[in-house]
Amino acid sequence: MDKSRVKLKVDNISQSYVVGDEVLDAILNVSFDVYDNEFLVILGPGNCGKTVLLNVIGGLEKPTGGKLYLDGEEIVGSDKRISMVFQELALMPWKTVMENVEFGLQIEGVDKKTRREIAQKYIDLVQLTGFEKSYPSQLSGGMKQRVGIARAYTSNPEILLMDEPFGQLDAQTRYSMQEEIQKIWQQEKRTILFVTNNIEEAIYLGDRIILMSKSPGKIKEIYDIDLPRPRNSMDPEFLAIRKEVSENTDLAL
Amino acid sequence: MSVSDPNHLNESEYVESVRRERKRSQYQSAILSVIGILGFLILWQLSLVTGLVNSRFLSSPIEVVSLFITKLTDPRPDGAVIGANIVSSLIVALSGFGLAIVIGIPLGLLMGWYKGIDSFLRPIFEIIRPIPPVSWIPLTIVWVGIGLQAKAMIVFFAAFVPCLINSYTGIRQTREVLINVAKTFGASDFTTFLKVGIPYSMTMTFAGVKVAIGNAWATLVAAEMLAASSGLGYMILMGRQFGRVDLVILGIAVIGLIGTLITIIINAVENKILGWRKL
Amino acid sequence: MIKDKMKNMNEEEKRRYRLERLYKILPVISIFLLILLWSTVAAKSDFPSPKETCDRLMLLFENPIKGKNIFGHTAESLIRISIALLFNWTFGIAFGILIGWNKKAKALFTPLFNGFRAVPPLAWIPLITIWFGTGEFSKIMIVIFGSLASVVVNTQAGMLNVDQLYIDVGTSFNANERQKLFQIAIPSALDAIFAGIRTSTSAAWMVVLAAEMLGSESGVGFLIVRGMDAMDMPLVLAAMIVIGLVGALLAIITQYLERLMCPWTRVESN
Repeated sequence: MDKSRVKLKVDNISQSYVVGDEVLDAILNVSFDVYDNEFLVILGPGNCGKTVLLNVIGGLEKPTGGKLYLDGEEIVGSDKRISMVFQELALMPWKTVMENVEFGLQIEGVDKKTRREIAQKYIDLVQLTGFEKSYPSQLSGGMKQRVGIARAYTSNPEILLMDEPFGQLDAQTRYSMQEEIQKIWQQEKRTILFVTNNIEEAIYLGDRIILMSKSPGKIKEIYDIDLPRPRNSMDPEFLAIRKEVSENTDLAL
Repeated sequence: MSVSDPNHLNESEYVESVRRERKRSQYQSAILSVIGILGFLILWQLSLVTGLVNSRFLSSPIEVVSLFITKLTDPRPDGAVIGANIVSSLIVALSGFGLAIVIGIPLGLLMGWYKGIDSFLRPIFEIIRPIPPVSWIPLTIVWVGIGLQAKAMIVFFAAFVPCLINSYTGIRQTREVLINVAKTFGASDFTTFLKVGIPYSMTMTFAGVKVAIGNAWATLVAAEMLAASSGLGYMILMGRQFGRVDLVILGIAVIGLIGTLITIIINAVENKILGWRKL
Repeated sequence: MIKDKMKNMNEEEKRRYRLERLYKILPVISIFLLILLWSTVAAKSDFPSPKETCDRLMLLFENPIKGKNIFGHTAESLIRISIALLFNWTFGIAFGILIGWNKKAKALFTPLFNGFRAVPPLAWIPLITIWFGTGEFSKIMIVIFGSLASVVVNTQAGMLNVDQLYIDVGTSFNANERQKLFQIAIPSALDAIFAGIRTSTSAAWMVVLAAEMLGSESGVGFLIVRGMDAMDMPLVLAAMIVIGLVGALLAIITQYLERLMCPWTRVESN
């Protein structure tokens, strides 16, 4: 992580919805910097607007206020340099693993041979070699998430947004996927914004953790995690940070 | 959201602007719908007024409406006023449909729950199923003539299949967990069938009933065109024979309207009975 | 063999084993009873017996009616529905996509279309014969009118139910509207579209029958009416059997087509 280079600047972002006669503020005046090649975790209880924040950065929702700067330039809407890994398994059931992974390149209009080559590289990276022709319904939960990660990587983004990617996995698979994503990130350095509600996961993965408070979502605290990788969740330092973050976290309903 | 900079608006102004935007898009689609229907009617009327279409082939919407008013009291040329035709058709459709519900649903539930009944009745059902209801018409004429019974029987064939299939599939989808819960409380197989299986199948069964009433109404027309002396289908057929295109179009319109009305009613009933589904 | 197997079972298992065997024989018994019932009724009335019907069916292969044997008449009906379905699948799917995807087109056409679809397929027959006479074209039009709605309704429903999540994936990769439509929305609606294709096929088969019954010189529907007019009940029954068989066959073919075109649905059902 290079703290001298700000990759993405989130400036005073707010997002609110009108429900009936009321305005619900999902997130309110959120500002922070994301550094180049950083693994930044956004941590918070359920319904604290984490997903909304990610959707705004990914260009899926237009914020009601605030601005986003990528490499110092303002961005509006979805940007090619930003890719998303979705919370639910947003793999298209009618496409094979290969077709899902190469989807972004296909949209860009990359010719078939090139995009197959690139897609294959990332399928190999997430260790799904041999499953190229399978349909998502034939894969386990962990494998599906690997496909989602490979898909986000293929369009060669500078920033990856991951919205609770392991939320629906069983505990065992979740641990191994955490290790996996760390390995992938170390091999193919990118800036990652990773949303989770799991404190342990946040401390295991993050260079920094942004802790959010709930309704409306605001930044409560930012932690620097300077532990060496791979981290050990039984390490006393790890546990100390965990205790600190945990006591500062709002209870989810 | 089309608000350019909400930071300069206060909250109530902001809510107001968003709601206005939503209302506007609602109005827009309502207006478009009205334009669609009106445009169609105007084109229809114009095609005749301008002489683009020969009046032997089409009568204008205005003529059809005025015929409807005339037919309220005038039995010519098919021998019955429109009200009598509607009642006659409804009686046929409802008796065939009612019979299909009374026989089809219990049979489907029993077949879905008890394997013995299933393996006994399934082959017979599978033989009857692919035969279109219309092709029963000659047989029913031979069996029971062309009265109410014959038409009701044809309608029955059309409505019976979806009733049976849906209640059958519905009860077979009963969650194993629920059955086991009932069994651990000591419920007998029959009690489980009554208290768990049947309620669980209701959503699916109702979907079948909806298809069945649609089928019943559609087949009725065929039955009345091939074997009847009254009813809306018969009225259309007479219109054809007398070369009265206005009568044919009136018949089609009335059949369509009543079909729509039935759908609306059945949707309301479904919402009332199966309201728990939405909770 | 069976005795050996049963020796090692306790009472409960034996009971279950006997039941399983009973379930296997029951279908045979029921079909047998059906034929028995049919024969008894036939013996006591002038209703044709199974054997008479069978013989009549065999005769249909050899003796042509109006110059065509049973294959000829079936082919006539099949050609009629093929032309109509080909038109409906191209036009109906395109229209369904339009009113399922474009909000303005949906608002403009949906009420009109609902009016059209509220009219039962067969009710169009008199109007169409006024317009186009009683020729071949008119019959095809009847089938088109009769089986169009199910294609459009299913396609529209499929397009309206496209999961927002998939669209979001497209947005995040900067897909344009065209790409979202062709790469995401239409493929995800494919199974609904195929449901429309299946329903329209069986609807077309029913409608062609009715059209042929109301006035035709060929086709399976004509055979039924011919049997009725000539008081040839075995012919009516033989025609019904053929109609049922072809209907079942059409259902199997469209299902097979769906599996071929949407291989992922097959995977899911396993």
